[in-house]
Amino acid sequence: MTVLLALPREDTILRALGVPKDHAKLSVKQGLDLQGGAQLVFQADQKTLNKLNTSQKQAALESLVNVITKRANFGGTSEVVVQRQGSDKVSVSLPGVKDVNEAIERIGKTANLQFFEVNSQTNEPIDTGLSGKDVESATADYDVQKNQPDVRLKLKAGESTKKFGELTTKLSKNGNYLLTMLDGQPTFGPAQTEPILDGTAILTGNLDVESAKKIADEITAGALPVPITLVEQRSVGPTLGKESVQASIVAGAIGLGVVALFMLFYYRLAGLLAVLALIVYTTITLTLYKLSFFLPGYTIVLTLAGIAGFILSIGMAVDANILIFERLKEELRAGKSFVAAVEAAFDRAWSSIRDSNVSTLITCAILFMTSSATPIIRGFAVTLGLGVLVSMFTAVVITRTLLRLTIRQGWGRKLSWYGLKSTEEVK
Amino acid sequence: MNIIGRRKIWYAISILMIVPGMISLILNGLKLGIDFNSGQLSVVQGTVAESVVKTAANGLGFKDIQVVPSGNQTQIRFQDPSSQEKHEANHQKFKAALANKNIEELSFDSVGPTVSSAIARNAVLSLLLVSLAIVLYIAYAFRNAPPPVSPWSFGFMAIAALLHDAFFVLGVFSILGYFFGVEIDALFVTAILTVIGFSVHDTIVVFDRIRENLRREKGDFETIVNHSILETLARSINTSMTVILTLLALFLFGGQSIRMFVLALLIGVASGTYSSIFNATPLLVTWHNYRLKRMAKLKASPKR
Repeated sequence: MTVLLALPREDTILRALGVPKDHAKLSVKQGLDLQGGAQLVFQADQKTLNKLNTSQKQAALESLVNVITKRANFGGTSEVVVQRQGSDKVSVSLPGVKDVNEAIERIGKTANLQFFEVNSQTNEPIDTGLSGKDVESATADYDVQKNQPDVRLKLKAGESTKKFGELTTKLSKNGNYLLTMLDGQPTFGPAQTEPILDGTAILTGNLDVESAKKIADEITAGALPVPITLVEQRSVGPTLGKESVQASIVAGAIGLGVVALFMLFYYRLAGLLAVLALIVYTTITLTLYKLSFFLPGYTIVLTLAGIAGFILSIGMAVDANILIFERLKEELRAGKSFVAAVEAAFDRAWSSIRDSNVSTLITCAILFMTSSATPIIRGFAVTLGLGVLVSMFTAVVITRTLLRLTIRQGWGRKLSWYGLKSTEEVK
Repeated sequence: MNIIGRRKIWYAISILMIVPGMISLILNGLKLGIDFNSGQLSVVQGTVAESVVKTAANGLGFKDIQVVPSGNQTQIRFQDPSSQEKHEANHQKFKAALANKNIEELSFDSVGPTVSSAIARNAVLSLLLVSLAIVLYIAYAFRNAPPPVSPWSFGFMAIAALLHDAFFVLGVFSILGYFFGVEIDALFVTAILTVIGFSVHDTIVVFDRIRENLRREKGDFETIVNHSILETLARSINTSMTVILTLLALFLFGGQSIRMFVLALLIGVASGTYSSIFNATPLLVTWHNYRLKRMAKLKASPKR
């Protein structure tokens, strides 16, 4: 029992590994099917992409992710995750989103940069009709004299430059201000302006170098016509998510409990050691899920299928122990001493454990590689694969250490405690 | 206990288990879900009548509406033929119409044709890759297997067992699809692959013991194989018991949305245990005897 009490809690382990205190209380990240929310997948227009070369394509998709991230974050929904998916898709996770339709419309909008004329007397903004579509490109720059970062716009030659020239000339005469809105938020100005006839505008505002670059990227992306279509949507209401979490906890606990009872009933003392190894296994696995938070891009997000993978791996984790204990029984029946029998059991069982687990690992690796478009499958492959790896360690190393310690004690060397019948004991 | 000696009975049981599913597969195929076929799937709370759903969808132009009860939920599947931009707006109207009748939508999925064809492609690709990788792996793992069995026989008998398990699960789901409208989705493919992995996992343990005993003992091949099975029998059954118990817990108490996935795993694991004991290993003997007979025939026949 003391062993049980001495088992370190997950946060103790995390802190021992050097994780800061407030991170040590990390929780496992839940997928959308558990916490509720929507997953949207947008596909970039093929025709447009085909016109671009490889590096332009990369840049376009990168800016697409930037723009979508900003738009998806607009409503202040927490933890929006926007990711590239495959060569031409972007997936957006919106946890807890209420109005999916609004989010889809907001993300799918094409206009993002707008120029307004602001009346200097009434402060009333008037749309000038000029927008991101008139912008050729934007770059982040630095004004050495004013010692501040800025964003420089290059308007499209011809009509756009001409219109912008007319607007700025008018503003410089009537004293009204120019306001530049980005995604519906005032970003530059309102400020007075001089006539700009060459189509290059310098926009200053409350910027640091980084935000100037980000805004420039976004404006460029906005001006870049990569139309997107919604090709996949999966949304889960909050009720179902909550039910799923509760159901999974119950199922996991029952699964673990039944397996523990089975092992205790069948293998007695050895079974108890296997149960201890199983507890260590569960702790290590959950800790790894939490630690994956520090590996951006590889964070394990627990979905329903992922939980199934985890619970399935509990069943598989004890398989190694069953193999070893069955071997142990055989060796003991053959009349070997406890020390010799334990070593022989681990030795002989190892090739079976290794060969059989490799086949499951191969399956997981292939599932992982072919599932870039289906996060739900990837989640299952990751948790099952990780479970198999960790269980090989706990079932072999931890159980062996515990068994070796046990058989050193006099009370630990009793045949009936390893599931052998008393008639066999006589032998 | 003589398992090998009664192998014809085990083969017959396997055939009886597989044939109904195969017939259903040939006649009805599998019911493909929106992951493979594209379309929309709305899951609502409680049992909802088809007429209620059709009224709610009135005027929205949904095609191919199917209402399938599933536990305490109802799955509503349909195809929205309008352009993709309008899908969500249409769905909102549909959802509101249901909400008016106090029907709560629990989840909604919409999959476009480009996505579903990618999922189908990946499914086929991963099935092929897994099967290939496993044959190669077993042939490699058993490269030092002592005679009379070649490493490749081990590999191919394991494949025979995994095909048995995969087709059994496919057959059961074909029947479930026909009678209860159960559809297969991307997760189903994962279940099949996991079953394949588990089946091989189980078979390898028995084969491993045969290999070990062949090295240590002299005697009749059939006898060695039979007692190898008996030696690993407790382990095979106990391991399957633990996996089946955990899966059963998931099936009974876990989330509704993965119930069919867990069911596929459950059936597959049970079949996998059976096939590694009663198919893969006896098949090694059948194959071995067949080769012996052929060799004897060759020797007996007069030289030309």
